[in-house]
Amino acid sequence: MSLTPKPGSFRWLLAHDLRLSWRRFQGMFGKLRPRTVALIVICALVSFHALAWSFANTLVDMDTEGGGQLYYPALAAGVLFVVPWLISQSLSGATRALYSRGDLDLLLASPLPAHHILGARAIAIAVEAVASVSIFILPLANMLALTRGVHWLALYPSLAAAGLFAAGIGILITLGLFKLVGPRRTRVLSQVLATIVGASFVLGLQVLNVLPHDTREAVVTAIDRSQPGTVFDRNGPLWLPVRAAAGDENALAIWVTLSLVLFVATVLFTGRLFASSVVLSAGESSVSSSRTPRNRAIRFRHSRARALRVKEWRLVARDPWLISQILLQVIYTLPVSVIVWRALGTQSAIAVSVAPAIVVIASQISASLAWLTISSEDAPDFLASAPVTRREVERRKLEAIALPLAMFLALPLIGLAIFSPVAALWTVLFATCAALSTALLNLWHPMPGRRTMVMRRHSQSKIVGMIEHLLSLLWAVAMVLAVLGTAFVVVPILLALMVLWFNRPSAGFRVHTA
Amino acid sequence: MSEHGSGPVAAAGPALRLSGLTKTFGKPAVERLDLTVRAGEFYALLGPNGAGKTTTLRMVAGLLPADAGEIEIFGVDARRQAIEAKRITAWLPDEPMLYDKLDPLEYLEFVAGLWGVPPEVAQERAVELLHVLGLWEQRFERCEGFSRGMKQKVALAGALIHNPKLLMLDEPLTGLDAAVARQVKDLLVERVRAGAAIVLTTHILEVAERLADRIGIIHHGRLIAEGTLAELRAVAGERHSTLEDVFLELTRPDAVRSEAA
Repeated sequence: MSLTPKPGSFRWLLAHDLRLSWRRFQGMFGKLRPRTVALIVICALVSFHALAWSFANTLVDMDTEGGGQLYYPALAAGVLFVVPWLISQSLSGATRALYSRGDLDLLLASPLPAHHILGARAIAIAVEAVASVSIFILPLANMLALTRGVHWLALYPSLAAAGLFAAGIGILITLGLFKLVGPRRTRVLSQVLATIVGASFVLGLQVLNVLPHDTREAVVTAIDRSQPGTVFDRNGPLWLPVRAAAGDENALAIWVTLSLVLFVATVLFTGRLFASSVVLSAGESSVSSSRTPRNRAIRFRHSRARALRVKEWRLVARDPWLISQILLQVIYTLPVSVIVWRALGTQSAIAVSVAPAIVVIASQISASLAWLTISSEDAPDFLASAPVTRREVERRKLEAIALPLAMFLALPLIGLAIFSPVAALWTVLFATCAALSTALLNLWHPMPGRRTMVMRRHSQSKIVGMIEHLLSLLWAVAMVLAVLGTAFVVVPILLALMVLWFNRPSAGFRVHTA
Repeated sequence: MSEHGSGPVAAAGPALRLSGLTKTFGKPAVERLDLTVRAGEFYALLGPNGAGKTTTLRMVAGLLPADAGEIEIFGVDARRQAIEAKRITAWLPDEPMLYDKLDPLEYLEFVAGLWGVPPEVAQERAVELLHVLGLWEQRFERCEGFSRGMKQKVALAGALIHNPKLLMLDEPLTGLDAAVARQVKDLLVERVRAGAAIVLTTHILEVAERLADRIGIIHHGRLIAEGTLAELRAVAGERHSTLEDVFLELTRPDAVRSEAA
């Protein structure tokens, strides 16, 4: 068999799609040459093998002490993290395939069968999803195989099967949404769903942590007992991927077969639907997009300053995906602080647990909004051609951030004020400082990008990302020290101001974006 | 349509005067360009790809700083009084600059706010422009769902809402269907009749031939010929009857070389 695939064959299509995937991956490294990227990947693999070695030894100790059963919950946790993550990646991949079609118009206009085109793209989606976790998992499989036995190599086929399973599910959900709610809403819904599914493990853990002590104990005991007939039954169907990953040959065979059947069936039976959906998503422009009342009164009333602010508010408010991403920041952070509060167990502890968390959230949301309004401006040239100074535009954009920020933080702040009004006042003060700091940082060091990149904006400049986090941390520490009444509060405040001073535009620090 | 926005400077000097305008990106993009456009004149700036047309318009619009030279818009020094110059200018690029999540009315309200048009005047003009451009039915629909032609029309409405004295249009008819192109052309001619000056770049030479009072041909950043179609014909030789012939003759590599020599 020739190694070079025949043009137009399925292998040829697959090679084409995998090449695009590799280019997309390369794109994440900016202008670095392919050889340099490959070198970075190899270095990362070697480093992760070293880390995996020590982790594998820890797992072996656990296994020995626990009579061979303790690693099972750890493996289950791993599967619970990885499978939703793969589904999330597949959802994103399927949405991208439908909407950022790139070459799909060309392929679908060619005399190739639609299921071949979908099949190749679906495998590429699965490969991309698997690649995003394999760099962590496969080194562990290798080291466990060395220290514990070759059955750990079952992680390889298990992960591949999970990738196919997730790709099948991701495509089915995306196409199902497309049929159910139409092209326009599917785009947003699938992105929101991808985020929530991807974070489901972390969110689940947080819910578990916030539960009352007795309920939490009951859940842990149920997992330990693994009673037949319950969802915690390790021999039950829900635990199939866990048993497969642990090297159970039968489970592995069933898991691989199940995933393959799901994947192949999805490709075969949804090929046509996929093709028609691509066409429909292209014709999205012809669909009426009216979302505001048809009989809305026309009344122009905005001054220049207000026009600039209102424009930003409208753009944020009309982006549900964006709002969901920002809300997730709140969801991720707040439960952690509640846990700290509970652990400290006193009423006043709220000031050193929840309050700094709100300060951190304020700074992060402010940074996201500042990036959106400043770096992700849809029509920068248009604004530049308007008779408005750049300074005024920037000032209005910063002002515009305040309202959505206040809306996002209102609920946590009210909650905090009920328990400790003084802490709430301090929080407002430090949250404002933190929000202003990260907003200024984004103003001084813009990193142009599309709005959808808001959560990945630091890929353009890791340095700005680090400084953003540093500022959040310093203001949060200042918050805690202020509540504790110590004079040391000036230290983080001065440090934060110094960080800002060194990052001001005239200081010469420049962001090198990819 | 009521006149608002540019009264005090309207009478002063030519609509646009470029003098020794220069911009270099490693190699010269625009080189010592001298050009004058009168008020009430439709001026077509033609040239092959990469000739420096867009760079010139971007400098006039204040989007790109010039390396040297002068830009004067109705007597206002655009390099020193940028805000004053922008107040009476509109720039429409080939790719419409819109906000997908805004509807046409909201977009026009935003543009009017930026240019400081009083709300009641802006509202009246917006309603009129949306009717004239056939966008009234879509006034509450977000621009994200619009075709390229519709987006171009919204952008044009935005360019006209502050009643600019100088309009710079970079390939305004690219991608528009015949009906929309006709609407746009009619609207532009009406603006010229009302006293505005229009500088237009296009690769559709027929448009320049039919609409322009004068035509300038730019090549390698330099203005190599300028005048009415008849004057350009005389320069290129009488055997060239259409603007296309004239353009191809004047931008022939050997023709340009001999002129430079």
